Amino acid sequence: MWKRTARGRELHFYLAGINNQNFLMRDRETGSWWQQVTGRAIAGALAGSALELMPNDELTFGLWKSEASQGQGRFLVLAPVPGHDDKDYDKKWEEEVAKYPVPLTFPGQGLKDRDVILGVVMGGQARAFPLAKVREASPVEDKIGGVPVVLVTGPDGESVRVFRSQWNGQDIDLYRDTQNDEKSDGKGDGENNGQSAGQAPKWRLLDSLGNTWNFAGCATGGPAVGQCLEKINFLKDYWFDWKNYNPQTTVYTH
Amino acid sequence: MNRSENRGLWLLLGLLAVFSLSLFLIPAFVIRPFRHQSERALGVAIAVKRIAPALAVAALVGVLALGARLWRSSSRWLRSGIVTALLLSAASAVLVRQNYFEWMFNPITTPGFVSAGDAHLGDKEMVMAVQIGQEARAYPIVQMAYHHILNDTVGDVPIVVTY
Repeated sequence: MWKRTARGRELHFYLAGINNQNFLMRDRETGSWWQQVTGRAIAGALAGSALELMPNDELTFGLWKSEASQGQGRFLVLAPVPGHDDKDYDKKWEEEVAKYPVPLTFPGQGLKDRDVILGVVMGGQARAFPLAKVREASPVEDKIGGVPVVLVTGPDGESVRVFRSQWNGQDIDLYRDTQNDEKSDGKGDGENNGQSAGQAPKWRLLDSLGNTWNFAGCATGGPAVGQCLEKINFLKDYWFDWKNYNPQTTVYTH
Repeated sequence: MNRSENRGLWLLLGLLAVFSLSLFLIPAFVIRPFRHQSERALGVAIAVKRIAPALAVAALVGVLALGARLWRSSSRWLRSGIVTALLLSAASAVLVRQNYFEWMFNPITTPGFVSAGDAHLGDKEMVMAVQIGQEARAYPIVQMAYHHILNDTVGDVPIVVTY
């Protein structure tokens, strides 16, 4: 997700091609060509320009709703475009895509080409965290480019957020309050749908300073109450694609 | 018109038709899904795409002029060659102006939104979520994975949602 302005100009993008399974887009204003995943213009009048990243989350709808119900503001959901039905909005599409051959392969770092990773870049250093590992070991703590970060799977067992694990200039260790959230954790990712709204408030993280944190990264109790951790952007991506655009990336292996 | 001059014109006619067709086919071949695109090939494909609309028209005009010149002295069989070259060049001039990626994935021209309560979406469906000031949006991935690109404005900030 990007801010669609470059060199002080508002742009409108459309789909225009594909590059190693990553979409290329063009803007109607100048016809320049942009690589969707990097937000950079690779050809045309705006070549060399970069779009500014728009921080966003990838959440389950249930979790988004439950956070929305606690938040203030106008919460809207994109409606299906008339004329398109489940045939176009194919939920199995990603599984189908995963069967196609990859255009690039990067063996040697312990990951398969289509393993889903969460890519984080901090202080010029790129690191890939296998999604399966993050789900299994959440919260995952690490240091990238000298910055302490924590990757957290939410109360729905699906949604992931990344935070800078520092409060008041102090590194903090975050861990799950397993006693409190055992219900929502009970059956792994579980089949029990409606859990998010009812049980999300119970889910929380603890730290060594006596704070409790919710999945939005805000302290719900303790000395930091009312304050929030800095959210860090990351990209959920296939390994081959991440490695292609971040050749120097390391892989989280703990 | 002597014979060798004619032969030269025929050659030019054929070359122009092939050239016109390649304006469409080269980028279409390079930028095809599920294949590897090298940086260089992609650079060539984009360069061709950028000049193709103008060049394809120029090629079509050339084919027309040559065809008209050769028509009178041609047998019926040769005339069908002229017509073929014309049709190919015309098709190419049209095709290079088409964005077939948008045929496949249908862009969202005017996005519609519903409140969280009115959305027909399961709790386990993934959404891309953004909040700017008091405005929050959820873009279901099942829709974004099809349309791929959405131009939106949230809290006065113009954004492009990509998936």
